[in-house]
Amino acid sequence: MSTTIEQQHDLHATPAPRPRGTRARLLAPGWLRALWMTPLFLGIGLALVLGIRALAGWDPIWYWQPVLTVAFLTTAPLGFLAGIGCFDYWARYAVGTPTQPEDHSGHGAHSWRDYFRVNTDHKVIGTQYVVTTIFFLLAGGLLAMFVRAELARPGTQFFDPQAYNSLFSVHASLMIFLFIIPAFAGLANFVIPLMLGAPDMAFPRLNALSFWMLPIGGVIMLSSLIVGGFGAGWTGYAPLSTRGDPGSLFFQMGVQWAGASSIATALNFLVTIITMRAPGMTFWRMPLLVWANFTTSLLVVVATPFIAGSQFFAMFDRVLGTDFFTPDQGGYVLAYQHIFWFYSHPAVYIMMLPGFGIASEVISVMARKPIFGYRLMALSLMAILFLGFSVWAHHMFVSGMAGYLRVPMMITTLLIAVPTGIKVFSWLATLWEGKLHFTTPMLFALGFVSMFVIGGLSGIFLGALPIVIHTSDTYFVVAHIHYVLFGGSLFTIFAGIYYWFPKMTGRMYDERMGKLHFWLTFVGFNATFFPMHIIGVQGMQRRIADYAPEFANWNFFISVASFALGASTLIFLYNMITSWARGPRAEANPWRALTLEWQVSSPPPVFNFDEIPQVVGNPYEYGVPGARHAVLNGDRAAVEEEVRVH
Amino acid sequence: MTAHAPAVDVHHGEHHGPPPAHQSSRVSAPVLGMFLFIASEVMLFGSFFTAYFFVRVVNPDAPGWPPEGFHVPVFVAGVNTAILVTSSFTMHWALQSIKRGNRAGLQAGLVLTLAMGLTFLLTQMLEYARVGFAPRDTAFGSVFYGLTGLHGAHVFVGLTLLTVATVRAFRGHFSPEHHHGVEIPGIYWHFVDVMWIVVYATIYLL
Repeated sequence: MSTTIEQQHDLHATPAPRPRGTRARLLAPGWLRALWMTPLFLGIGLALVLGIRALAGWDPIWYWQPVLTVAFLTTAPLGFLAGIGCFDYWARYAVGTPTQPEDHSGHGAHSWRDYFRVNTDHKVIGTQYVVTTIFFLLAGGLLAMFVRAELARPGTQFFDPQAYNSLFSVHASLMIFLFIIPAFAGLANFVIPLMLGAPDMAFPRLNALSFWMLPIGGVIMLSSLIVGGFGAGWTGYAPLSTRGDPGSLFFQMGVQWAGASSIATALNFLVTIITMRAPGMTFWRMPLLVWANFTTSLLVVVATPFIAGSQFFAMFDRVLGTDFFTPDQGGYVLAYQHIFWFYSHPAVYIMMLPGFGIASEVISVMARKPIFGYRLMALSLMAILFLGFSVWAHHMFVSGMAGYLRVPMMITTLLIAVPTGIKVFSWLATLWEGKLHFTTPMLFALGFVSMFVIGGLSGIFLGALPIVIHTSDTYFVVAHIHYVLFGGSLFTIFAGIYYWFPKMTGRMYDERMGKLHFWLTFVGFNATFFPMHIIGVQGMQRRIADYAPEFANWNFFISVASFALGASTLIFLYNMITSWARGPRAEANPWRALTLEWQVSSPPPVFNFDEIPQVVGNPYEYGVPGARHAVLNGDRAAVEEEVRVH
Repeated sequence: MTAHAPAVDVHHGEHHGPPPAHQSSRVSAPVLGMFLFIASEVMLFGSFFTAYFFVRVVNPDAPGWPPEGFHVPVFVAGVNTAILVTSSFTMHWALQSIKRGNRAGLQAGLVLTLAMGLTFLLTQMLEYARVGFAPRDTAFGSVFYGLTGLHGAHVFVGLTLLTVATVRAFRGHFSPEHHHGVEIPGIYWHFVDVMWIVVYATIYLL
């Protein structure tokens, strides 16, 4: 991990001077200050809860639920954020003292230590995001290995049913909230300002805050395992989540932190894309990755508050004893599922649309052809956005909800296949007669398209009422979700990481190891998840620690395959770490791409561009003689030439 | 939500900062950011109204609203509504004053808004103490405290932002050219105000 700014020719920023003396060090933003501010805020939270309980005369004064919620899961993390330095500028602004004008000392990473500090540089934050989310990918993957170890044989081997429930619940929560959603946000964080020709995001300090809220959510969800985890699944259905094990509280609060992080990032993306595009970069000239993140961010801003709401209600029902989901007190249990899925169905597009963007970038570049039907690609993203809000109840077909909702929800669900199909055929048409370069990112992108089609087809089965009533809550659903989220999202994340690795680190990854990683993942993935369709249709129920002996052979096969799949991740890790440390230097534009991030050095200069580029054409004109996307570094003659020609 | 200082580096002559970003929209970034944040907040309220909808409308065994034995102080809350609506006008006055360079008007407008917001919040707390039921008393109580409490939390956030603006107004910040620090808390305050009218109408009046 020796990629430092010093090796670059384009160094503008100097590091801030290190604080001297014990007092200065304790007061300077950083881990040392976080070390004393976290307990301080924990104490404040404790005093708040216990003080109010004592004043109101509630008995007992020490009641673990509010203490845990307020002191441990709310104020202590706030203390950490304050200590590490997320609020320094705003605190100074709030008391009216002169704020320190941005001196850009926080820009760029001068050594690996700078990745552990609050940094306002979108490139550093992007790297922080990706590395953090890979950590949670490994944690979540390890839990999946435990799940498969338990399921390798019928009966109970390693984990009792309650522990088993916690394993798959924490696995799914980590993978969804701490890996897929933020991994896309991290890649986009690095790439989008560069693609737009902007020096940074619109709100760099908010960007840093969004990143630092993320590990908090992850640590909270992981630490639920200390109290035995939570067994209600990543969906946390009431009343199981409002009555049962204490771990559910960790899920409910962890989601709030991850959700707040996600909303803040989405808001930042939207404002950046709307207000900071380079001259000439009209909406119809934006790369599709930018389009994808634009629609995703709209979804996040509008939908995520609903999961916040549903978790607030569940938390209130636990901690305050409210009756939102208590039937005999006038509450309505199904309301939880409606509110939850009103977020969580759009959330599956939050987990997929940025991947569509990555696939479009990679496929067009590696096939050396313009993307087929560019405008329709962008419009179909918007169509998915709108349709995505009208399908939530298809998760509840067997829940006992109002019968008249079923058929409309089925129709809208099947309608989503139309814009998604447009995208798939557009990728195929882009590939048609292209000059294909089978690099690792391309392999993952192609793997994504083929696996996502399988996942999409099983999705049509699951959207059709007569079939889903039979297959609901079976391994058919598990197979479907992993084909779209693993074969879909994770494959595109891998494609994106390999594709932008040279840009992010300034080094080239090992292509042979990358290909080996792809093939092992591809084969291991299909061997693991394809048989789940079969045992699912035969009636093996999901989320149950034990199963009927007739499924034993398939399950043993699946478990062995899943361990191979897990092992293939180690190759990825080894490749990433060694290539980052010692890989050959990457050129500025190893893929000969047209989009703006490839027109600057690898890694990019601290402030991205010396001068804001002038965009003069479409981003995907591969194979078109003389086509240019943008003109850099004040090449005025070239700009005038372009204007004259067009 | 603060205005991002224009990226002109005056302190380090030997280094130059990032090139100034190209402004590709007429809307300024902080204002757009606040509007998107409000969109998100509206949806958070939306989720609470959804809970309200399920408890009151969808639930087949729903008792009356409020159920028998429960009473909500419509009149007191009505007066409170009037106070909050008035505070929106003083907020607007404060913003218009600084746009014309009238610092005294800015300060007076902000202080009045702050005072009325505080009055609203204290009245709400008194109402909680005297209303005679708790969040744990049936789903009606949960929804009542949920919606009014969520709104109260937003009043608190709004007051915090206004306090910051007031402190800065008295320390001589803001000018006819630079007043994002008043304008943006103001937008948020108007949102809090409008949201209260919806909450009041659905919880107390309907």
